[in-house]
Amino acid sequence: MNAKKLIEENNIKRESLNPENQAYYSDLLIYIRLKFSLSEQQSEEVLMEMLDHLLDGQNAGKTAKDIFGDDPRGFADEIIEQIPKEEKRKLIPFIGGIIANIVGWVLIIRGILYLVLSQFTEVKTEVYPFSTLCIVLFIACFVLFMVVFIFKLIGRSLFNEKSTTRKDSIRVCLVAALGMTAVLLIGKFLPDIGPSFDFSWLASLLLGGILLFVIYVIKLKKA
Amino acid sequence: MSIRSQLLKGILDGCVLAVIEMEPVYGYELSQKLLNIGLADVSEGTIYPILLRLQKNGLIRGEMRPSESGPNRKYYFLTEKGQEALEVITEEWKQISKPVSELLAGRKEG
Repeated sequence: MNAKKLIEENNIKRESLNPENQAYYSDLLIYIRLKFSLSEQQSEEVLMEMLDHLLDGQNAGKTAKDIFGDDPRGFADEIIEQIPKEEKRKLIPFIGGIIANIVGWVLIIRGILYLVLSQFTEVKTEVYPFSTLCIVLFIACFVLFMVVFIFKLIGRSLFNEKSTTRKDSIRVCLVAALGMTAVLLIGKFLPDIGPSFDFSWLASLLLGGILLFVIYVIKLKKA
Repeated sequence: MSIRSQLLKGILDGCVLAVIEMEPVYGYELSQKLLNIGLADVSEGTIYPILLRLQKNGLIRGEMRPSESGPNRKYYFLTEKGQEALEVITEEWKQISKPVSELLAGRKEG
């Protein structure tokens, strides 16, 4: 059974847990799934085994605490330590797919935006590859940082130890706002360096469309 | 941690392998068998990090198959490497347990 099927089955089976056990198990599940460097297949397999175990235990009148102990975080860390790492060749298409998706949508939005704007005003469609690359790299780093930051905060908020949801939300908003400001400032003040070429709205729209279509076809083939 | 669970921790791998050797089991079954043998001092969940480690080291392998009660469960089987490891553990345990038992049994009452 592959990871996707295991996740679906897990979602259904989890419904049969009583509220107390569900709270305990859900935190365990999120905590383990947040470690995205681990093999997804292995993670989902052991999560399913523990869910089955908990359900059997529940029927016998046991609680999650009886079965997995009073220290869910420590227990989860022990599990995580033993789950093999995800193979790199599985990780690269995954991350590559996300990046291609974002680029595709940005190109399409740019195409539509320039088409609309060009009806009212003159738009500069010249593109400076070097400057653009700098901004893209900065945005990529920023997004990566945000993902890690948010995952850290979620990981810390689990197991009812410290409930700081409000504070954490404010923190995330602040950091995101700062990052966006930086992106905009860099975009505004970065000088146009190196060669340039004309990149019309039509070319942008077409290229974006092709990119998304290719991703779609690859996904279809895999499924 | 109680003294007993500390002592048990070192030999639990061997116990898990020995139970699996008798017949392939899934997680819940394994924990119940350990309980029934009388090893009740570890929380049931403890077997999962152990099963993962034994799997990673190639001593056991897991396989999804229908259980007696119906739904699919991951059953664990002993591999050849696991068999060898169990022989070694058994031998080592004999060498430790005999002198320790004799030593502790020979204490003066009092």
